[in-house]
Amino acid sequence: MKIKPKRIKVSHKSKNRPPLHQLHRRDRNGNLTSKARHNMASDVTAEAAGQDEQDRSISRDGTDPLSLEARFDEQGRPQVPELYTSSPPIRDHLTTDTSISQDDVVKQCLPRLIKCSRSLVGVNSYGIPSLKREDHIKFLQEAIEYPRYIAFDPVRPWVIYWSLTALSLLGENVELYQQRVVETLSPCQNFGGGFGGGNGQLSHVATSYAVVLSLAMAGGGKNMDMLNRRALWRWLGELKQTDGGFRVCVGGEEDVRGAYCSMVIISLLALPLELPPNAPARAHGFTSFLDGLPEYLSRCQTYEGGVSAVPQSEAHGAYAFCVLACLCILGPPNEMISKYLDLPLLLSWLSSRQSAPEGGFNGRTNKLVDGCYSHWVGGCWPLIQAALSESPENPNAAKSTVGSLYSKEGLTRFVLSCCQADGGGMRDKPNTFPDAYHTCYTLAGLSSTQHDSGYSGMRHGEAGYPLDSAFAWESSKEDSDGPKNEALELIDAGDTLTSLHPIYVIPWGVVERCRELFSKKTGF
Amino acid sequence: MGGYSDSEDWKDIVPIPQDDGSPNPLAAIAYTEEYSEAMSYLRAVMGIDEKSDRVLGLTEHIIQMNPAHYTVWLYRADILIELKKDLLQELEWLNTISLKNSKNFQIWHHRQVVMSHIPNIPSNERPFLARVFAKDAKNYHVWSYRQWLVRHFSLWDSELPYVESLLQSDVRNNSAWNHRWFIIFARHTDPEKHSIRNNNADSEVSPETIEKEIEYTKAAISTAPQNQSPWNYLRGILRKQRKGLVPMKAFAEQFADLEKEDEVRSSHALDFLADVYAEEQNKEQSAKALELLARRYDPIRKNYWDYRRSLLGLGQVGA
Ligand SMILES: [Zn+2]
Repeated sequence: MKIKPKRIKVSHKSKNRPPLHQLHRRDRNGNLTSKARHNMASDVTAEAAGQDEQDRSISRDGTDPLSLEARFDEQGRPQVPELYTSSPPIRDHLTTDTSISQDDVVKQCLPRLIKCSRSLVGVNSYGIPSLKREDHIKFLQEAIEYPRYIAFDPVRPWVIYWSLTALSLLGENVELYQQRVVETLSPCQNFGGGFGGGNGQLSHVATSYAVVLSLAMAGGGKNMDMLNRRALWRWLGELKQTDGGFRVCVGGEEDVRGAYCSMVIISLLALPLELPPNAPARAHGFTSFLDGLPEYLSRCQTYEGGVSAVPQSEAHGAYAFCVLACLCILGPPNEMISKYLDLPLLLSWLSSRQSAPEGGFNGRTNKLVDGCYSHWVGGCWPLIQAALSESPENPNAAKSTVGSLYSKEGLTRFVLSCCQADGGGMRDKPNTFPDAYHTCYTLAGLSSTQHDSGYSGMRHGEAGYPLDSAFAWESSKEDSDGPKNEALELIDAGDTLTSLHPIYVIPWGVVERCRELFSKKTGF
Repeated sequence: MGGYSDSEDWKDIVPIPQDDGSPNPLAAIAYTEEYSEAMSYLRAVMGIDEKSDRVLGLTEHIIQMNPAHYTVWLYRADILIELKKDLLQELEWLNTISLKNSKNFQIWHHRQVVMSHIPNIPSNERPFLARVFAKDAKNYHVWSYRQWLVRHFSLWDSELPYVESLLQSDVRNNSAWNHRWFIIFARHTDPEKHSIRNNNADSEVSPETIEKEIEYTKAAISTAPQNQSPWNYLRGILRKQRKGLVPMKAFAEQFADLEKEDEVRSSHALDFLADVYAEEQNKEQSAKALELLARRYDPIRKNYWDYRRSLLGLGQVGA
């Protein structure tokens, strides 16, 4: 047992150096000041040389460990808050496999989090490295062409989805791939409905999810013509189970991925909610895809408060996202989440996923941080916060006064300091190889720190398609009176990512385009 | 290489090469000739739904090259069942590739399908799983499979010693704690009806069992108080017991005495006590515990602790 002494307040009166945080402050309207538009790396080196006296007066005394004010040591180097540069305040003596691997990860992350404060090159005044945007784009452009390994043969549509999503996040126009996406994915479609991982492979709900989203991203309307919606609907009917959930493929396992992926496909393509006549679950008295579904999802919450793949298994971040997003397809978040899950317990578990000093999320209790949970766990937060927030349907809910319920700063530091691989691409953690999967979900998580999204509620009398609420979300605009987004404060202006829809995990415009295309459709 | 095109056994089959849809497909895989040929024959035999010994061999060949291939696994399971193959022999074969590819979840689903056709649990099954857990004691898919196995063969009464041996070697293994929960508590719930939210479909667990679990968990916490797994487990038990958290107050205060702020030994004890004090309507104490968490002992979760504090309905945190 080691107990760390109280944090000592240190004064950082900078005698020789300017307060570099001035360089990328925002003005009162939330716009970046002109200096902030420079590339921080070169700003820091160029401007650290000499400064006028005036700025110095703003230099800050005292150190609130969580303060967003950038701080500097005597040499004017950015200081990273102690929270991210030292072991956690309480550690047990007992050594086990879990503590050994945890210590190992901390050992790998700390130098990357601290190094930033020792160097002026490539980091901003908060000690955060900039996003290697061009490197990541290059990495993804290669990944979408050649995933290389045979192991990827059953998940080729996923490789396309991860790459297109990540490229979209980085601001690239993915419609360039339009024709090749259609050509590549067409042979994965089966006559019996749905898409397999490749030509001649069985239809699988996860690859079908990746196909539908990829087609939508790479060109919308034109691409969607290749989807056999009727066959898709009939095939999904075969996956519906009598306990309310879905299998991932005929004869395959049943888990909450099956439910989430199926409902994404059904709602985005506005397929009929009525079960097709061939659906085996009809024998059980079910008539709709929705029958027994929220109850099934509810049964996947565990005693820890998190959510597992199947009832009574261990709570896990990726499955938590599937369940929350699926519930948010079925109805307004404040209704669905608190009706079917013990919300305080879930909140406690979800909050425990963030780990210090690394700053990132792990997926389970006593497991290690991993970049991909930036989305799986990070993506749960907007959905949960929507469930806690005021909305047109829930005017009595207490308006959240605390803003974000997790540390956006921690996640931002972890992603940018620890997950960027040297040659481009994002990775699980230091000393692992980058791949399209981790690039996609690490960036998606980073994006969700930068753009708050919330449930906007349905306009009155608009009830049309029963799953309308899935589309009643919006990315909150950055207005001058709203609270400032702390994550945007921390990064350079050029490091902002595109915002994604919190349920469909593709850009907002793509969701809208699908909606326009299919919501008016009756039948197939 | 060309094992199939040159073989007498396969000359009646016309292979179906992969349709790539375009001369320039995306996500192109660097296939080996051996893999491409085998897949061409698989497409052909699946097209005519052939289930035979030679196809069984073909699936084995492909699985050896690519164990992540769900289509091949599912087809193989169908063949095994239809041809009434020796399933124990299948398990033996599976054991060898499972140890090499334990992260691959197709393998575990396949094992479950095969096992569901075997009337009694083979004696080697749990020793084999122990070998897998020796490599990774938190393997998610293997634990899910084991839970299915326990329920399927009703192995409830013989699981506890193994779980305890795992917790003995790593008391932080949350998967083992979850499995303990499964065999002690989930056993008595109906997985088709029970939910945490409604706390229903739950037959009584005896007070003796609850007492025993509480004592076990307290001992585990005492060996490493900053280990969240047993704290979560303890809260789970107390919810079942429906007597609130207050009876555990003195126990938790051993690890976090608000009068001795510098000597807190467990942030989870503080979290627990925040709820204890709230239950006792002692909002100031509760707030104090949460402030300690936010400021000092778990500041990465500051926003959450502040939110919890705001639910107490007290004023703002002083300065
Ligand atoms: Zn990962």
